[in-house]
Amino acid sequence: MKKRLPATPYLIWMIGFVICPLIAIAISAMTDKEGNITFENIFAIGDSINGQALLFSLAIAVGCTVICILLAYPTALVLRSMKFRKNGFTLFILILPMWMNFILRILAWQMILSKNGLLNLLLASIGLKPLEIANTPVALMIGMVYDFLPYMIMPVFNAISDIDEDVIDAARDLGAGKLNIFKKIILPLSIPGMLSGIVMVFVPAMTSFVIADILGGGKVQLIGNIIEQEFMKSMNWHLGSGLSISLMVMVMLGLAFTMKNDHGERDGGLW
Amino acid sequence: MGDNILELRGITKSFDGKKVLDNFNLEIGRNEFITLLGPSGCGKSTTLRIIGGFVWPDEGSVLFEGEDITKLAPERRNVNTVFQKYSLFPHMNVEENIAFGLKLKKKSKAYISDKIKYALKLVNLDGYEKRNPMALSGGQQQRIAIARAIVNEPALLLLDEPLGALDLKLRHEMQNELIKLKKELGITFIYVTHDQEEALTMSDKIVVMNKGIIQQMGTSLSIYDEPQNAFVADFIGESNIFDGIMIKDRVVQIHGKQIDCVDEGFGAGEKVDVVLRPEDVEITTEDKGYYSGTVTSVLYKGAYYEIIVLAEGCEWKCQSVNAPVAGSTVGLYIMPDNIHVMHKPKSSDEEIIKE
Repeated sequence: MKKRLPATPYLIWMIGFVICPLIAIAISAMTDKEGNITFENIFAIGDSINGQALLFSLAIAVGCTVICILLAYPTALVLRSMKFRKNGFTLFILILPMWMNFILRILAWQMILSKNGLLNLLLASIGLKPLEIANTPVALMIGMVYDFLPYMIMPVFNAISDIDEDVIDAARDLGAGKLNIFKKIILPLSIPGMLSGIVMVFVPAMTSFVIADILGGGKVQLIGNIIEQEFMKSMNWHLGSGLSISLMVMVMLGLAFTMKNDHGERDGGLW
Repeated sequence: MGDNILELRGITKSFDGKKVLDNFNLEIGRNEFITLLGPSGCGKSTTLRIIGGFVWPDEGSVLFEGEDITKLAPERRNVNTVFQKYSLFPHMNVEENIAFGLKLKKKSKAYISDKIKYALKLVNLDGYEKRNPMALSGGQQQRIAIARAIVNEPALLLLDEPLGALDLKLRHEMQNELIKLKKELGITFIYVTHDQEEALTMSDKIVVMNKGIIQQMGTSLSIYDEPQNAFVADFIGESNIFDGIMIKDRVVQIHGKQIDCVDEGFGAGEKVDVVLRPEDVEITTEDKGYYSGTVTSVLYKGAYYEIIVLAEGCEWKCQSVNAPVAGSTVGLYIMPDNIHVMHKPKSSDEEIIKE
């Protein structure tokens, strides 16, 4: 018991702000307005509107994760090949946006992408037709990728830069060319880092609603937006709670599946 | 090209403007165990990396079986390396590690599994196929690294301080195993180390290097017994090195005393370096010695005592199985054929090559 003493403040915090709310939400999810027990709210995720939003969220989250991997992986490879000081600075530049409030960053994108925004001004000045990106899934995707990219770069870069140069030399020594070095050494050794990155991008992408609010202009409905609306506009907390619980269970199942594929022998990134 | 499997011709290499190798020439014979020996930064590892293909020389050429391979990529050379840090692939088990090179060469499954069995037997690790290499001890990992290299049947095996990370006892064991392995395989070993004892134990031929230049090349015996210059004498074993003047053939003057030696062919009056091995400096009574001095320390070293004697204003390192009393006055005597007279280097890193 004594050993846990220093953790007491955090334990109190966790009980007060994580466990109790979770229990409250679970109770609210399994009851209706009259206080009777029901599972309707939990299964409401299968309704056509909710289900559609869920699938759409899933598509957006998967897309965002894939784009982040495609952007982060080559970046991490380049960073690895840079001299030590240079790569530290480049990494710093890449991480810099993380230090700014994310709503500010999204608002900035709104300014850039809106009908009379910076992007269209720029296009007009070189004589091109304006683009109508604002309030579309494309805008949403741009914002999400921008927001979550650092969370992919960090663990992937950590995993890749942890690969010993001697191990790569050993592979070359045994006859591996560039392609084989990538396929047989770098890629498999970076998978744990990539899994960390996937978790850190996919989960927030799946559950976010603020980005959709700002860049989607209310026209793009993620499951997060629906839950928000149930709580804030329809004031149907029971339904909101039910959807939340369903979403949470699904995300946790997804995580468990991802973690199962990570053998957990090597720590690849931030975990 | 006769008996030489590898020739390095006029290799020069600089890193960041600092010359690591300077017009380096070396011929390596078939089936030799050759050791590049020198302090860190002497260019021995760079030499090995040039042979392996990981570093390209600024000037000069590398000939393998008479063919110029100076700019051939490492993956295309019939040479394999055992790295200092083992560098096993952490995501593969022992078997997959050893099979790595063979799979790339598209060998048949049966061939590969035969080779793995043979190699593991050779390094005394039969039955370790499915183990995770990261869970093995340093010595075992190094054996796996050796097995991984030799299954490819290289004509030349490069070993970059492979025993550096092991403890003393294991190192001795592995030294003997490497000698055995070399005999069994009948291929050329090029071994890099800064450990003189390791070099003396294992090598057919030792190349002593300093500042990117070969200081001396020869058998263990010739390097130890007839060092060519003060650097080699100092680096190989322990020694007392004094300034001397050659009076005439077979007579050298050290600390003002003329002493009989066996060296000839120096000019009369030439300034020379004189090397005296500690085990060759005999402690005797005052009247029998060339010099007399005071014993300042006596250290028990197991098989012998290490004795420091202060004489003629210098500390003399001596070894003896009998311990004199510290503080006593003793005489120092050296037999003529235990005196090694060497030319003084003309510059600080003059090249001296002699078989």
